[in-house]
Amino acid sequence: MLKIGSLEKKYPNGCHALKGVSFDVEKGEFLVIIGLSGSGKSTLLRCINRIHDPTSGVVEFNGKNITSIKGKELREARSKIGMIFQHFNLIPRRSVLVNVLTGKMAKLGLIKSILGLYSEEDKKEALEKIKIVGLEGKENVRADNLSGGQQQRVSIARALMQNPEVLLADEPVASLDPATSHSVMQYLEKINKEYGVTVICNLHFLSLVRQYATRVIALKNGEIVFQGGPKEINDTWFKEIYGEEAVEVTIN
Amino acid sequence: MNKTKKIDLVKAYLSDAFFWSYSLIVCHKVIYDKLILGTRYPVFSWTTTIITTFIGILIATILFNIKNFSVGKKIKNISEIENNNFPFYKFFSYFLFIITFVAGLKISQVSMDDLFSSSGASGAGKLFGAMLNPNFSIFEPALFATIETIFMAFIATVFAIPIAFLLSFFAARNLMSHNIFAKSAYVTTRFVLNITRSIEPLVWATILSVWVGIGPFAGMLALCLHSVASLAKLYSEQIEGINDGPIEAMTATGAHQIQIIWFGVVPQIVLPFLSFTIYRWDINVRMATVIGLVGGGGIGTLLMQYQGLAKWNEVGLIVLIIAIVVMIMDFASAKIREAIK
Repeated sequence: MLKIGSLEKKYPNGCHALKGVSFDVEKGEFLVIIGLSGSGKSTLLRCINRIHDPTSGVVEFNGKNITSIKGKELREARSKIGMIFQHFNLIPRRSVLVNVLTGKMAKLGLIKSILGLYSEEDKKEALEKIKIVGLEGKENVRADNLSGGQQQRVSIARALMQNPEVLLADEPVASLDPATSHSVMQYLEKINKEYGVTVICNLHFLSLVRQYATRVIALKNGEIVFQGGPKEINDTWFKEIYGEEAVEVTIN
Repeated sequence: MNKTKKIDLVKAYLSDAFFWSYSLIVCHKVIYDKLILGTRYPVFSWTTTIITTFIGILIATILFNIKNFSVGKKIKNISEIENNNFPFYKFFSYFLFIITFVAGLKISQVSMDDLFSSSGASGAGKLFGAMLNPNFSIFEPALFATIETIFMAFIATVFAIPIAFLLSFFAARNLMSHNIFAKSAYVTTRFVLNITRSIEPLVWATILSVWVGIGPFAGMLALCLHSVASLAKLYSEQIEGINDGPIEAMTATGAHQIQIIWFGVVPQIVLPFLSFTIYRWDINVRMATVIGLVGGGGIGTLLMQYQGLAKWNEVGLIVLIIAIVVMIMDFASAKIREAIK
């Protein structure tokens, strides 16, 4: 459903983040992208939903080239691709409910969304999504008063509100403690398995990768150096991806 | 040698030339003309200025090519063989500071004789004495004029808020860098705001009192203009300092640019905006009293009238009222800003 073809990204400051990355994503996959910091993982995700514009190459979503679409068309494509972030990126000083409702922006009218006139159906849907991530009863709490793991679950609910076909997760557990990390990963697994949302996720911990991924892509200096199943990453591959000096750290 | 290094070298040379020309001109005009020749108002002439500038450039050019004698190279961190025995740049910076200090003293005509002259002190003492004996018979008109001033400042602030709010988004670099139109809008807004801000409210009031007539309306407009410019600058700096995360998240949901700003930017800036605005009202009340001096209405105009008639007891009462109001405003705005943090 997602085809990435020889994607290149060069930042204005000269940083060559992606050097011809190509791969396909099938529906229902839980694809994990690994690699060192600065290997281009975050750039890759942001090129898929066009938060960053790729320098060259093609991103095809459901058979449609979305590399250079603009305006309404781009917003529509983005609305089908949810995204969650390392630092959650929730709207401060707003309730959980409002934060989840912002996932519906693309479908709401401009005036209605700004005046906060959400329909009863939308509110009901938002409450359902909040329930899916196990936060029922918290809908009127200010999002920035929640713990890190809870905030990440709010952001998952926000992404679910888009009824996305793909969910991009940019290091979703990198600022969480081990126990919370697993809880958040389990929610991602749940929406992948039960709701059939394709997940593309950047991760650092190989133990998490082995547990949750159905397929792994490793990036090194903006190039793909490994593609395959999570069990295939042995010591040799590990040293190839992370460098000779690296030692694996596990998270239980 | 790469391009940035060349540019740094040129900048180093230009700053050297500026420092030397500056110190020569100051030495010539202030130290030589005023201190040695004792002329009170030295005549300005282009010829001597140009000659001293030229000599300064000449010295800079010579010293620029001698190791460790260029201050500009030191500032731009262009490496040279370190010579710790004689840190020339240090002596030169002390020298620059001292001549600037001496020139400043001379130009502002600091004079201990004037400050401590007995006739001057007794005159000031008489005024102070009268002011410490405020005349309470004009309490009522003074109070009404003060209320006029506070309301004038309030309306100026209220009118300024929406305009400044809108303009601040155009004056925020991080929101206006995605294409050439946005960039030019940014530059234009910044330019207009800077010009508006650099013209003092006092001058605006003078201009506007010709336009709409002397009175509180002119003063209000002047304050409003100046408030728009300063608030828009403060607001836009706040916008430039926000966390980009929520903007990114809103973009990813497929939201429209206006929705992105409303949900990604606005919630992050509302409180600082409110705090700036209350502070601005406080400033406006203080400024409104000054604006009154040029016919902007309110307590300032009253102050001007009594001061012109040399009725110092009445002036004393007005100053007292202004001081109390400013103190109350100061206290209240500090409390409110603390409460909404």
